[in-house]
Amino acid sequence: MNAQLLHVDGVSYGYGAAIVLHPVSLHIAAGSRHAVIGPNGAGKSTLLNVIAGNLIPPAGDIRLGQRPVTRLREGARARLGIGRTFQHPAVVEQLTAAENVTLAIRHRRMRRQKVRAALEQVGLGDYAGTPAGQLPYGQRRLLELAVVFAAQPQLLLLDEPSAGLDPSEITHVGTIIRQLPDTAAVIMVDHHLPLLFDLATTITVLAAGQHVFSGTADEVREHPVVQAVYLSPATPDTIPTNQADQQEPGGAATAGKPSRLRRTLTATADTAAVQEPAVLQVDSLHAAYHGATVLDDITLSVDAGNVQAILGRNGAGKSTLLNTIAGLHRPHRHTRIRVAGVELRPAQPADAGRHGIALVPQGRRLFASLTIREHLALATRHTRRQRQDARWSIDDVLDLLPALRDKLRRYPAQMSGGEQQMAAIARALLTGPRLLLLDEPTEGLAPQVVDQLTATITRIAGTGVAVLLAEQNQRAALATADRISVLDAARIAFSTTDINGPATHARLAGYLGVSTAGAAA
Amino acid sequence: MTTTTAATASDAAREDHTPASAPSGRRRLAWRVGRWPAATGVVLGAAALPALAGPYVVGLASSAVVLALLAMSTQLLAVAGLPSFGQTAFLGVGAYTAVVLAASGITDGPVQLAASAATSAVAAVVTAPFVLRTRGVSFLMVTVMIQGLGYAIAVHWTGVTGGSDGRHTPPVTLGNGHPLTSTPGVYWYAITVLAVAAAATAVLLRSRLALIWRGHAGHEPRMTALGYRPTVNLGAAYVAAAVLAGIGGALTVAINTFVSPADLSFDVAAAAFAAAALGAALFGIPTMTGAMAATVAIVVVRDYFGSNGTGPLYFALLCLTVPYLRPAATGLRTWYTRRRQA
Amino acid sequence: MGSTSATVAVTGLGGLAYGLLLFVVAAGLKLILGVMKVMNLAHGASYLAGTWLAYLFADGTLTGLALALAAGLAAATVGGAGLAALLRPLAGHTEQAVVTLGLGGIIAWLFSRISGGSSLTVPRPGLLDGHLSFAGHGYPIYHLAFIAVAALIAVAMHQVLHRSMAGIALRAAIDDPPIAATLGLSATRIRIAAITVGTALAVGAGVLGAPVLGPAPGVDATVLTLSLIVVILGGAGTNIRALLIAALVVGMVNYVGAVVAPGLASFSLFLVVIAVLVVRRQGLRTAVAA
Repeated sequence: MNAQLLHVDGVSYGYGAAIVLHPVSLHIAAGSRHAVIGPNGAGKSTLLNVIAGNLIPPAGDIRLGQRPVTRLREGARARLGIGRTFQHPAVVEQLTAAENVTLAIRHRRMRRQKVRAALEQVGLGDYAGTPAGQLPYGQRRLLELAVVFAAQPQLLLLDEPSAGLDPSEITHVGTIIRQLPDTAAVIMVDHHLPLLFDLATTITVLAAGQHVFSGTADEVREHPVVQAVYLSPATPDTIPTNQADQQEPGGAATAGKPSRLRRTLTATADTAAVQEPAVLQVDSLHAAYHGATVLDDITLSVDAGNVQAILGRNGAGKSTLLNTIAGLHRPHRHTRIRVAGVELRPAQPADAGRHGIALVPQGRRLFASLTIREHLALATRHTRRQRQDARWSIDDVLDLLPALRDKLRRYPAQMSGGEQQMAAIARALLTGPRLLLLDEPTEGLAPQVVDQLTATITRIAGTGVAVLLAEQNQRAALATADRISVLDAARIAFSTTDINGPATHARLAGYLGVSTAGAAA
Repeated sequence: MTTTTAATASDAAREDHTPASAPSGRRRLAWRVGRWPAATGVVLGAAALPALAGPYVVGLASSAVVLALLAMSTQLLAVAGLPSFGQTAFLGVGAYTAVVLAASGITDGPVQLAASAATSAVAAVVTAPFVLRTRGVSFLMVTVMIQGLGYAIAVHWTGVTGGSDGRHTPPVTLGNGHPLTSTPGVYWYAITVLAVAAAATAVLLRSRLALIWRGHAGHEPRMTALGYRPTVNLGAAYVAAAVLAGIGGALTVAINTFVSPADLSFDVAAAAFAAAALGAALFGIPTMTGAMAATVAIVVVRDYFGSNGTGPLYFALLCLTVPYLRPAATGLRTWYTRRRQA
Repeated sequence: MGSTSATVAVTGLGGLAYGLLLFVVAAGLKLILGVMKVMNLAHGASYLAGTWLAYLFADGTLTGLALALAAGLAAATVGGAGLAALLRPLAGHTEQAVVTLGLGGIIAWLFSRISGGSSLTVPRPGLLDGHLSFAGHGYPIYHLAFIAVAALIAVAMHQVLHRSMAGIALRAAIDDPPIAATLGLSATRIRIAAITVGTALAVGAGVLGAPVLGPAPGVDATVLTLSLIVVILGGAGTNIRALLIAALVVGMVNYVGAVVAPGLASFSLFLVVIAVLVVRRQGLRTAVAA
């Protein structure tokens, strides 16, 4: 066994009131290949940032070799031999590929040869003189890997190395990582489980900021708790009966009840809406992000009173889809987005808002200098001169979200994550939407709050509002949705109204990563 | 003169270079072949100016050298991604250092230059930790404040600066103790200093340090993750820029045998800032060639054509038109390709 | 000696007026910085334009002052909308700043053409001329009136920012422009409003402050620098109170210092800036978020 390289002891992290990483310990041997997996909001990226020094933890102890590094910032830790990649490839776009790599090589000796070798290692030998900004997304990611490898770190932190890549590029990345010298230890965070199971010798599972399990790849594959919190979807028969005894399995305890309840309630609304044009009709939507095609020919529609859940891995384009519909992201030409039959101008968020689209963005994004009351007042501003239907008063919203009633004078920073999410939903509802876009609303919430939230979403749809929900938490999504659509490789891979059918679960498992059989290579 | 572009720095890394596309490769080749004759022509023309033009134009050209140094100083920081308005403050440090030296009998030109470079470097080292906490528009904001404070101190510290009335100095002397008084002599002295400074800057911009600056300008988190210290590296750029400005200050004294707060006023800072910015706006990236071309344009338009008092207006119009040339060209090109496709 | 305390009181009054003048200009500058992220180098020139309008319309009556103010607000509206349009196609801080430099340059050139490069004295309206005697000392009435008006502006700004829908919308737009847009707030309209109101504050301060700090060559640069110092010392966020305190400190130091120890005024200002930045270690970084 190699000597231990990295010790992480009882390290935690929180933003304000919300704890995103409970005390966690991790020991990495020199030359090992370690993966960290878990659903969105599990604290994976936070853990990586804490190790890299981008976040300084309030508690706990981190040592690199024998050396304590807990109080060092990222630059100092980099000089001690920690290299990292970022979720979006961090390369200097104005410099050529070769110049980018040159920056990573400190010593003058043989620098030119080392640059060429590093570029050839990732297959970019022919692009040495091309400015990084002109490289396509996948090659920029390869270039970032070349830069980080060239620095020859003892410890390499890879944050979502497969995000935004197509299958052949992912295979390529896997091959490159496999060829790394044994001297470097690697910690990887990714959602592409086949890739991780293929590369990693040991795996840590996190859920909702908690350490769930650490072990070899095989142990993780077989472990029942791991299966429950992360790998399997929310079929009633796979929920372990002793769930209550376990230590907070992240966002994993929603039953399918409210959805059926609501369906009977709104059956009339659904049938009435059949004659009308769909509230949202999206045709041939194409969008790119940082040069990578994220959405390719997406067509979907949502009817009044319906909840459609968009599932997909991190980086599958869920947020981009919602942001494009809300007018925050410019789609390619020929994209058509219609609300109640009216075509929206692209990338005009105020226009989309006036036509009845309301967004609950990922990470809430409340206004830091506004009280909750001011948020609600601002959102109500426009509804007065708008459509007479679907109008919410502040009282209606506070009845729906009673937790906010005595928090009206607070600023967002003084509230818990769940309360902030409620405030973001209240802000959206008060604009009087026809269509509510919810982007990862359960992210970072405790399980009981997730229950509350799914019930709330169901009640909102019951009033005739169409809901489009992007969600990583399958249980929450399945509990509320009338239709689910899975985004994979920039397209809608499949879409069904048969929410709880076994066939659906099998397919979901295939797309969202239960299957650990298929190797990346 | 200066044909160094920041973009051609670190050719070492570009040795095994595959052109991204044929036309741009051809254009670059033409540029590489064409720039040496062009540079030689500029240098010869500049050296022969006293034979070609009258003393008024030569005097104007001498003062343009100071502006050119300020513009280079500003552009050096722009290469590192830092938009600065306050390089005149370091010009002031350099100029008053030369004044103090001259007043105590040290009139040797190169000695004054070295001393001015040293004091402005010290001033930069002292202020860098504060200024370099900011980036982007905040850096611009803080440097505008530095310009204003520098000017105010020059006006009020009458013991050293002579206040608004300024201070006269004896002419600088060269090695043999011979005072430099003739207009062409002063001019040749000034362009020699400029040429040396430009050559040093050119070398600097081809160095690894400049590559690091451009890395910081383009993606600071990446640079930090590679272990670079932003304050140290950008601090080096800040000090180098201050040295250029300080040399400009010593030259001001040598050219005018006089210095007053007007030499570091808002208008001077504006001209230097605009020279760098307009050069960058023309070329798309901050280049020394661009800054030099813009300096010449500003001096010609403002001081030569505008000598009847309309100069500031012409200068303002330059500021209001040049930044739109590139956006307009891109707009036209997309419009044209769209139309051809349709 | 009684006359010393009288001098201190009168000078203090001047410093107060000067500080409030800077406050109004700085609030406008900060508004433009916060919403547009643009360093408006023409802001001092806007003030100069205001003082010049006050000079043009000054006829010794309050009507003249009111006319000047109306003309100033009209000019600010046109100028602000024009500046917003000019800045729209430009991306970089440097390009944007250089365009504002050009606009400011035109104003300064026009002024120097018409005034012939000399300082102009703007007469106070007859009603506000003279001194108010209190405890045996005379205080200039115009300073008192100006202090009252500027204090009123400060209170009104605070009220608008924290009590009105426009203020809430503005703070939302500064905090998170895209999300504010999804609530139906047009980003373009907010930008135009911010730059127009910001410019109007500078021009208005020029009209009213002309008898305190009148039209003169270089006054644009002075006002720009001083209001910038106020913005930097005032720190981040939409905190009117911090901005007001910073303005009063700068005003007092600059004005009182000039009377008591003329040689030291700019040094003391410099020292104040350094002291605040050293004490508040994160000072500049938080000002970034402004």
